[in-house]
Amino acid sequence: MSTGERSRARAFGLRTRLMLAFLLVAAVSAGTTAALTYREARNAILRTTQDTAVTSFREQVQQTALVLPLEGGANLELVLRDIARKGKPRPWVVFAEYGSIRASSGEHPVSTVITPELRGAARANPLGSFERVVKDGVPYLTIAMPMVFKVSPDSTLSSGLVLYAVMRMTDEQVNVDALLIAARDGALPGLAVALIPGLIAARSVLRPVRKLREAALSMGSGKLDTRIPVRGSDELADLARTFNVSAAQLEQSVRELRDAEERARRFASDVSHELRTPLAGMLAVTEVLDEDADGLDADTARAVRLVSAETGKLAVLVEDLMEISRFDARAAELNADEVDVAEAIRKTLHNRHWTDDRVRVELPDGIRARLDPRRFDVVLANLVGNALRHGGAPVTVCLRTEARSPSGRVLITEVMDTGSGIRPEALPHIFDRFYKADAARTRSAGSGLGLAITLENVKLHGGTIHAGNRPEGGAVFTVEIPLHAEEAGG
Amino acid sequence: MRHARRRRRSTPVAPVAIALALAAPLLGGCGIQPTDVIEAGGPPSFQAFLNRDYDMLLFFRSPDGGVVPVIRTTSPSYSFGDGYTEPGSGQNLANLTGPARTERVVQELLTGPGTRDRTAGLSTALPAHPGGTVELDPFSAGRVTARLPLALKALSSTALRQLTCTIAYSTAADGRATVQLTGQDGTSRTATCPLASGNPENTPAGTPSPVTTG
Repeated sequence: MSTGERSRARAFGLRTRLMLAFLLVAAVSAGTTAALTYREARNAILRTTQDTAVTSFREQVQQTALVLPLEGGANLELVLRDIARKGKPRPWVVFAEYGSIRASSGEHPVSTVITPELRGAARANPLGSFERVVKDGVPYLTIAMPMVFKVSPDSTLSSGLVLYAVMRMTDEQVNVDALLIAARDGALPGLAVALIPGLIAARSVLRPVRKLREAALSMGSGKLDTRIPVRGSDELADLARTFNVSAAQLEQSVRELRDAEERARRFASDVSHELRTPLAGMLAVTEVLDEDADGLDADTARAVRLVSAETGKLAVLVEDLMEISRFDARAAELNADEVDVAEAIRKTLHNRHWTDDRVRVELPDGIRARLDPRRFDVVLANLVGNALRHGGAPVTVCLRTEARSPSGRVLITEVMDTGSGIRPEALPHIFDRFYKADAARTRSAGSGLGLAITLENVKLHGGTIHAGNRPEGGAVFTVEIPLHAEEAGG
Repeated sequence: MRHARRRRRSTPVAPVAIALALAAPLLGGCGIQPTDVIEAGGPPSFQAFLNRDYDMLLFFRSPDGGVVPVIRTTSPSYSFGDGYTEPGSGQNLANLTGPARTERVVQELLTGPGTRDRTAGLSTALPAHPGGTVELDPFSAGRVTARLPLALKALSSTALRQLTCTIAYSTAADGRATVQLTGQDGTSRTATCPLASGNPENTPAGTPSPVTTG
């Protein structure tokens, strides 16, 4: 998991989601309450104002004596101004419309606020109507009161005269705006307060989760005795308990496995040790027998030589087994020393008498590295011996250094033969113990542990070994060992 | 949170959308919103004084094309005090009853609007001073028949409405009468006054008939 992924996961992590959920609930409840309260209060304010204005206007016009047909002019305007002055809750502007007469208590005889719908309603409905109009952002209340003739006790006749009152609702607007601000100021602190339980809830969930994560990491790094303190009785406590139980079972299984492995290794090691003493005696006897073999008859001599050869092989096998046991028991030690690598290789070849033209070398001088000379000798001897045995002469040993970006320079030793190469299906197993690349040659000279020991030795140097086939034929083994010469040298 | 990507963690988006959808109608717009025309309710607004003994209701044409009622008072005392009399209105209406009264009213209508009416923008669609007399049959079963000294065929609908309403309101107090007009040319028209509150064509949809209170 890269850091980018992790930070994005955190952005939508449990804490964020819990906070969002709390905020959402708080926002919905506070918002709903505030909105409902605001709406009811606003409607109440508006209804009160409208009812007051309509009732008051009706009373005023009922008390006004207007003679029909109406006569326009100053007198009418005086009457209208009188009505307008007595307007409740605030003075209105009163307009009169009759026939072609238009008069008002204000400056303009015709209102720009009164809508055609209200005019139509005034003509059709003798009870009077009102309408709230918003013009240029200013709300107005417009009321229409038609004058009627009472022609009989239960019927009226519209007279054609309609009085309109127009009132600005600025005070109501101020009150409604104040309500809105109050609703907002009430809701926002509620949201802020909702964050606190959100944080607490997130903390109570996240702390056990963090502990669980740390414990899992700790177990992954090998500390199998890691346990989590179980607190409370919620689901997270159950999870912690389950984790502890699983960890205990895992620890138990791993311990049993390790014990079994340990027993097996010790057995192999003990067997090797126990075999060594009688073998040493047998080797001494077979040497004597070898010397005296010439004096025996032919069949007996062949049998004696066979016993002697097999005993030698058995001794090699036991030595290899003990070496492998040491690696398995991690008892193998690296006795590193700064050596001239080319010189070390030449010495190895010389000691094995591989100095004729069966082995070619390409060894640049002056490459120094910190190596265990004995183990490097084993590695090279094994590889060259294998190449001669299973591949074909001539065998080439190359040495070079190469720069690798993460680990600095590496020492590369290649051993190439000119044989038929390694079968592809054998390549992945070539370093396995007792693996025979050629199934037909089960009774080969090697112990079957040579390449396994080589691999362990290279690993002990912190290096790697690869087996492969060259395109032009023949196998190639590449040993790469990191160079620490720079550090040692300066 | 509105910017939350629609990734697999889209869970916070859905509740927010639901909450917004719920909150939108609750808020319903802040501040003061305009309304439709609302009926004010309560008693009919304000009334003009009408004395059926002395006052007659004449219907003239208003500037907006409709017909509006005008009170023409015939009381001598009233006209004396007002110092204002219309030509031909000297006769006391109180002495007349039945068809004779209505004949008098129609005569007055045919005389046309007075100066004050004309000042207010009222006019008539009837031909001026046709001469001749108006005869009415007695009012019976909500029906009245009038013979007019005019040719009905040439009259506009406004003129017919003026005649119908004037006769209807003169005959029946609430104006609910079917008026049959017969002209000199023999043309006959039957109608009711659309302004009368009981007639269906005058009743706007959903508006209840006005309830008169004292």
